[in-house]
Amino acid sequence: MKEFLTGNHAVARAVRLCRTPLIAAYPITPQTPIYEKLSEWEASGELKGIMMRTESEHSAMAACIAASLTGVRTFTATSSQGIALMHEMLHFAAGCRVPVVMANVNRLLAAPWGFWADQLDSLSQRDTGWIQLYCENGQEALDSVIQAYKIAEQVFLPAMICLEAFFVSHFMETVEIPDQEQVDRFLPPLNLPHRFDIDKPGYLVPVVPPELYRKYKHMAQTSMNSVKEIATRVDREFREGFGRGYGNVEPMMLEDAEIAIVTAGSITSTARIAIKTLREQGHRVGLLKIRLFRPFPVEEIQQALVGKKKIAVIDRNISLGSGGIFCQELRAALVHSSDHTLTFNYIAGVGGTDVDPEVIEKIALDVMNRREPIDTPIWIMED
Amino acid sequence: MDIKYDFSSELVIPISYGSSEAIETGKWGFEKPETAFMTAPCQEVCPAGNPIPQFLYFAGEGRYKEAVEAILKENPFPGVCGRVCFHPCEKDCNRIQYDEAVSISAMERYIFDVTSNQHLDIHPLSHADSKRIAVVGSGPAGLSAAYFLRLLGYQVTLFEARKELGGVMRWGIPEYRLPKAILRKEIKRILQLSAIDVKTGMRVGEEISFEELNRFDAVFLSPGAGLILSLGIEGEDLKKVWIGGDVLDRINSGDKIRMGKEIIVIGGGNTAMDVARSALRLGSRVTVAYRRTRSEMPAIQDEIQEAEEEGVRFEFLLQPVKISLLKNKKIRVKFQRMRLRGRDHNNRPKAIPVQGAFLTRDADGLIKAVGEGVDLSWIPETLARNSLIDVNTSFITPHPKIFAGGDAIDQPRTIVTAIASGKKAAISIDLYLTGRTHDDVFPKIRVGNRGALSMEAYLSGRDDRNWSEPKDVVSYPQLNTLYFEHSKRTNMCKLDRHQALKSFSEVNLGLTTDEARLSALRCFSCGTCNYCFNCYFFCPEGVISLDPLHRTKGVDLDHCKGCGTCAKVCPRFVVHMKGLS
Repeated sequence: MKEFLTGNHAVARAVRLCRTPLIAAYPITPQTPIYEKLSEWEASGELKGIMMRTESEHSAMAACIAASLTGVRTFTATSSQGIALMHEMLHFAAGCRVPVVMANVNRLLAAPWGFWADQLDSLSQRDTGWIQLYCENGQEALDSVIQAYKIAEQVFLPAMICLEAFFVSHFMETVEIPDQEQVDRFLPPLNLPHRFDIDKPGYLVPVVPPELYRKYKHMAQTSMNSVKEIATRVDREFREGFGRGYGNVEPMMLEDAEIAIVTAGSITSTARIAIKTLREQGHRVGLLKIRLFRPFPVEEIQQALVGKKKIAVIDRNISLGSGGIFCQELRAALVHSSDHTLTFNYIAGVGGTDVDPEVIEKIALDVMNRREPIDTPIWIMED
Repeated sequence: MDIKYDFSSELVIPISYGSSEAIETGKWGFEKPETAFMTAPCQEVCPAGNPIPQFLYFAGEGRYKEAVEAILKENPFPGVCGRVCFHPCEKDCNRIQYDEAVSISAMERYIFDVTSNQHLDIHPLSHADSKRIAVVGSGPAGLSAAYFLRLLGYQVTLFEARKELGGVMRWGIPEYRLPKAILRKEIKRILQLSAIDVKTGMRVGEEISFEELNRFDAVFLSPGAGLILSLGIEGEDLKKVWIGGDVLDRINSGDKIRMGKEIIVIGGGNTAMDVARSALRLGSRVTVAYRRTRSEMPAIQDEIQEAEEEGVRFEFLLQPVKISLLKNKKIRVKFQRMRLRGRDHNNRPKAIPVQGAFLTRDADGLIKAVGEGVDLSWIPETLARNSLIDVNTSFITPHPKIFAGGDAIDQPRTIVTAIASGKKAAISIDLYLTGRTHDDVFPKIRVGNRGALSMEAYLSGRDDRNWSEPKDVVSYPQLNTLYFEHSKRTNMCKLDRHQALKSFSEVNLGLTTDEARLSALRCFSCGTCNYCFNCYFFCPEGVISLDPLHRTKGVDLDHCKGCGTCAKVCPRFVVHMKGLS
């Protein structure tokens, strides 16, 4: 069944379809419609779970961790300052190995204050041990929530799906809503171990000696690495069941391309149009979308970009003192590839500024003219 | 610690099933919390030192039996005080500084009313060879002294000249303020709890001589003030001039009296208000003439207000100088116009005549209510001073085994002050009979600094003659009002005016069950733990234990780090941090 929905409401719909019994959240623009929709359904009885209104995002995550340890599926949604406040608990979630699923609506971080799209909020949580998926549109956001549960629950690691403020969260699009039975088949009732058990009281997060700490970290890293393979498998199953799939990365017109444009999130949609125009103009330009950011799909990226002459990574984020974060990761992934493709970093769309097809075409033409490597990012500003 | 390090199973995280109690984190601290109950200002200002926060706590919990038992430790008359006390407690209630005072008086009344038929667990101390004490007069002072002396284990004989007990409560206060049925219930309970040997119809000086009291080990005199004071003016003895005390006595005795259409009441005290309102009920129109102004009237504010509401008119700055009989059988009262100037020896504004300013008022009758004197004809002259019975601060007369209290001594003439004097005299008598002096003890058992003493405190140190230091008084700034919510005070419903004036039915109707509960819960409980659990919930170490049912509290000092959160979050200044020496 198709519905005309915002990205936020598509996420809420996915949570309902996953029969999540415990949601703990705190409202924040531009995530609030997810919170409101779930509250509305809780009130009407359509959501068969508990919607906990906590006093902060920090508490929301603490509640999700505790609930998850009792063996149930949990969900929270946040954005920007909210995820920043949650930071400490994000580490706890990964360390406690709980498959909490979160939607983060990418909004810039203060200061200065603003509400606009920017991926720095979730990207600066990249080392917390969470699986991260970046979604291009509302449909992908809905599908990714369902997939995220299936991935997270196999590896005992939390997962966040990211969608950009307004461009995805508030834009209305036609979204295919899967049948409940179909989702139930794909995502059967959860059977996690009950690590919090009132009949056998225990204390989590006890002090451990150094060697054990290292051991648990190593275990988590092993699990995290396995996510690339599991995510691929889950996406394939999803495609078989629902007729849609996304991959950890998605190449477009890349095979014969000399120049690869790399994007993540909503800019990808715009880039798809720009690439077509560039192709029509005779430029051999292709596109690579990165969807899975943690773990970083190094091998798939190496494979997709092998033999390209130049690469342009477009980042809607900036790690001050370095550059765009997707570009950093991509350069690190390619460091052992034999031909050492020239990789340029374009900062575009930061703070929610518009990245239209002309901007992407401009970037492509700029890359074509560049001969020398440049370590610093290239900012795309209005003329 | 028993930590399960599990790498193989699905738990994938370490879980401890042991306890970290072995680590005595309490050793890290420099301070420890202490619970120290404090005196609330309401309690301090109550002459009887009523444990107000304590009884309101029980009432708020619906534990009315415990509430009344708490009151009865300090005051045997909750039913009377809940009706006729001038309740200074409400004026000093800390909650006034937040919104409105707690309805303490109405609560005291409610607690008595709901428990008046219950069996209570109050037991007198027992003495093998208990001494005998005579109490003369059964008003609030006499009954209070008799009650507390019995609780202290003495044999008490109570001599009452009239045929019924109660003194001023029985004969002086009108039915519409204090129903006789309530008073009888209250007295009945006092007698049940304390087994006093009651001798009614025994007037000392007539049926029994004063010298015969000598066979008792101690004597407490509380004859009250029933002597008629004269205005000293012409026409005072006319038939249409009534005496306030007599009027009340006759009404309270069931006499049917007719007073005429237009009545003038002379006076500004409680008796004046009582006769004025009684006369209204007998069908008269009433004007009160007082020689000072409203703000100097010694009557209880509530009574003045209620008299006004019921239709009593007031004329101020008038002093009668002559009463004459007119041909139409009316009387004419000539008044001297007064003005206020300077202050008298009691620091009250002095009324002085305005030269040549007179006015007259005609009426069908006049009631003198200008105060009562003490009949001293039956006691040795050596016990009297300034027309009162002479006592020191321990209520001892110049005769070491004779004590006195109530309206016959130099103290404010209110029911609760009389009750308080009975209690204090009982302690004083006990100290005398056990060979101790009050100087060491009274300062230790005081409730705040305004004269009230605590019987409970006295009993706590009586056996080993060792009393702890008295508690300090909690002031408003010491409370943490963040945890309170604003709320309206509940006042009692009253009979509607027309209904009230038709009979002597009680005017104040008391609180409903819900009103009482809410009123009790409004108490800030200043200085008294009411198990709000703030300390328990906020303690980051989880080392506080509270049991409201058994009224116990504890801190696991081995694990209390002394952070002081409990003291900060205590709304009522009960938890205090004390440095470790």
